[in-house]
Formats: sequence, structure tokens, C-alpha cells
Amino acid sequence: MPEETRRVVPIAVRRALGADAECGEPRLLAGGAMHDSWAVTARCGGRDEDLVVRVSPAGRADHEKTQREFVVLRAAREHGVACPRPIAWGVCESGEDFLVMTRMPGDTNPRQLVASPEYARAREAIVPQLAENLARIHAIPLAAIAEAPNMRAPAPGEDPLVALRRQTEAEYRQLMLDPHPAIEWAFRWLDRQLAAMPAPKSEPCVVHGDFRIGNIMYDGEGLTAILDWEGTHLGAPEEDIAWFCTRVWRFSRPDLPAGGLASRDAWVAAYERASGRTVDRARLLAWEVLQNIRWAVITFMQARAHLDGHTVSHELAAIGRRTAETELEILRLTGVVEEARRAG
Amino acid sequence: MQDRPTAAELLDALAGFFRERAQHARDRWERFQFLVAANSLAILKREAELEEDAILAEWERLDSLLGPEPLPLRHRDRVARLRERNAELCEAIRAGSFDGEREGELKRHLYLTVRDKVRIASPDELGEEETSG
Repeated sequence: MPEETRRVVPIAVRRALGADAECGEPRLLAGGAMHDSWAVTARCGGRDEDLVVRVSPAGRADHEKTQREFVVLRAAREHGVACPRPIAWGVCESGEDFLVMTRMPGDTNPRQLVASPEYARAREAIVPQLAENLARIHAIPLAAIAEAPNMRAPAPGEDPLVALRRQTEAEYRQLMLDPHPAIEWAFRWLDRQLAAMPAPKSEPCVVHGDFRIGNIMYDGEGLTAILDWEGTHLGAPEEDIAWFCTRVWRFSRPDLPAGGLASRDAWVAAYERASGRTVDRARLLAWEVLQNIRWAVITFMQARAHLDGHTVSHELAAIGRRTAETELEILRLTGVVEEARRAG
Repeated sequence: MQDRPTAAELLDALAGFFRERAQHARDRWERFQFLVAANSLAILKREAELEEDAILAEWERLDSLLGPEPLPLRHRDRVARLRERNAELCEAIRAGSFDGEREGELKRHLYLTVRDKVRIASPDELGEEETSG
């Protein structure tokens, strides 16, 4: 598959920088089941530009999604968020679409960031940096993203938590491979929490939609960029704050809920300081439970991709066995584990 | 019955082979694939050792939650029927049958069932408090 998208790179570079731009040899970057990302250096007006060209193969291209990501990245960049500067997006005659952006410095390996002694200083610095950047994302004025097509949003006046809960339950019922009593009970628990909580006061804001430690770049000093804006939509800040804490994205440090980097309290306090908002802890807990349910749904979605024959992969198949650890995390968050342990 | 090696012993040998291959992999991608394969074999080994007891315990708890039912003789019938009973349990939870005083019993069942799954699928994810008992 990568060879098919490599061909698009010079076309995208010339569309972004002009017909006289010279395109160097593209190098495939790690990651992405949906796209191929190519690093390339282009020469234009006597200067070298380090670029990333992300290409979605013809069958999987979604032009509106690519345009939406372009518009939101541009707005984020204008509002001080550390992220690539988007230069152009477009559609090829052969059906692929592409997004051209500047290449950011740094590393993306989250395992190294949470564990390696040489990144101890980066680990210190990065928690407030992430909080500040997340606060900036949530403060992007909606007028700045008015051009973004199909920006998913809760219905007017609807609680974003209720909206995502409904969407997640629909996906759960459609995609489950086995019945999951623990998840069924968690939906019930969520509804009880929702009934007991006051409706949120704030208006929906821009959310990143996949804010986790695997989607950032860093160097020895800390954060260099926030990547992967495909899931961006309008919602509540807690959606990003809680997703950052989900169990699966802690790597070798499950004891540090905030991305394997910090305690939940330290993370939320850093966000509150950066944003000037107050985060309701009960509401945030409900969000974290919901986000873990979403991850559980993703685990059987991945297993299904293999079982249906869509993408034959023992790796995807094995992810199906990770639903259980996610259910356990849900039972921990809701106090069930603690209760069972006390009962003996 | 089968001769030695047991299923667990054979799976153990295979997992060792894949771990060895991972150490001498050509690149990061190949190394990762071999490690995932070794991990899947380790899951199957634990399943061969622990699944029977887990199924019996789950069945007994469901007897208490949903009403008793004779245990099928064959393993595959037990698994098929357990799946149906879990779907029944889900329906009952959705209908609110466990909202009141029976919720404690349900929660204990959910915990023990999930813990037994995790013991097989990803025991490293069990906290210290969950590995005993």
C-alpha cells in the first residue's frame, strides 16, 4: 500500500509550494492504519522545507475529514497550540487525498517518554505544557473553525457527555462480539451519575478528540507538538482530559493515571491552572468511565476487523482479549473492585 | 487422552520459540509481531490451565443471579450456554432488575468474572490486591 501513496507526495508538494518546488526522496513514517505519512524535504525559492505529507489511499479518503483537520490545525496554530503548521490539503485525480504540513522536531515513542531516564526532565516539564496546550485548544474561538465541514457537535443544549454516551452505546450494541455484563452495568452506573449531576454550564468547545500520550511529540525539554487531529469535534473539555487518563495509554506506568506521567490530581490541577476553569471531579469521573467504555468498544472493533476478514492480522485479533482489562479498569473507577475486596 | 506434552507445555514451547525469534528480529515491526504472537500463545496456555475452573465458578454465580440450571456435560455446550446466559444477564441489568438490593451480588459477580478473564488475558494488569483470593 505505501508504494501507491508515495506517488502522491510530489504532486502534493507542488500543489502546496508551487509548480517550481523540487521534491526530495519521501521517507515513510511509522504509524497510521488509515493513512501513510511521508517525511520529505522540498526545495522552493532557494530554501529547504521539511514537510510531512499525509496521504489517505483512494478507498479510504474522506475529503471533508481532511479539510476539517486542515482548518482546525490552522486555527490551533494561530492560537498558540504546539502543532504542525498546515500548508495545503487537496484531492488527487486518482482519488487519494493529502494534507501537507510542516515537520515538527522531536520523538513520538511514548514508551521511551514514560520510562527512559534520559527523559526525566522532559517528563517534569511536559505535564504543565500539555495542560497549557490543551487549555488553548479548548479556547479556540468557534469563529476560527467556521469553515470546518461536518464538525460533529452535541445537539443544541445537549450535555456532550450524554451525546457521547448515546453514540458509544449505539456502537457497543452494533459491534460487540460477546455480551458484556460489566459494560452493561457501567452504562447503568453512568445514567445514575448523570441523573444526580447538574447540567454543564459551559458551551461546547473545540476538542482534540484523541488527546493521548501516543499522539504527541517531545524532546529532552518537553513537548514539541500535538499530532493526529482527525477526531477533532465540538464537545466538553473533560472529554480530552479524561481520555488522557484512560488505562490503555499509560504504557509501563499504570500507577500514573495521566498518560503514565502524573497523578490524576496533578494533571487536573495543571489544567485548571492553565485554563482558569474549574473541573468538576464527579463529572470527570463519569467521563473517564465513558472513555474506557469507548476503548473497550474499540478493542472489539479491532478484533472484528480481523474476524470479518477485513484486515487479516493476528495483532488485531489479540486486541480482542484486551477488552477484559478495560472492563477491570471500569470496575476500579466505579468502586466495584474496592467493594468486592472489602467484602473478601 | 493425549500424550505429553500437555497443551500448556506445547504452547509454552511455542511461545519460547517466538520470544527467541523476537530477540533476533530484523526490525522493530518484526520484533513487535513476534512478541504479540508469543503473548497470544501465553494467553492460550493460561486459558488451558485456568478456564475450566473459571467457567464452573461463573456458572454457579449465574445460577444464583438468574436461577439454577443444570451444567451441560460438554465443554463446548457450557461455553455456548454461558454466552446465552450472559446475554440474559445483560437484558436483566438493562431492565433494572439489579438496581436495588441485589446490586451488591451483581457487582461481586462482575468483579470475579472480569478478574478471571484478566488472569488469563493480561495478568500483568491485575493489581496486587486482585491477584490473591
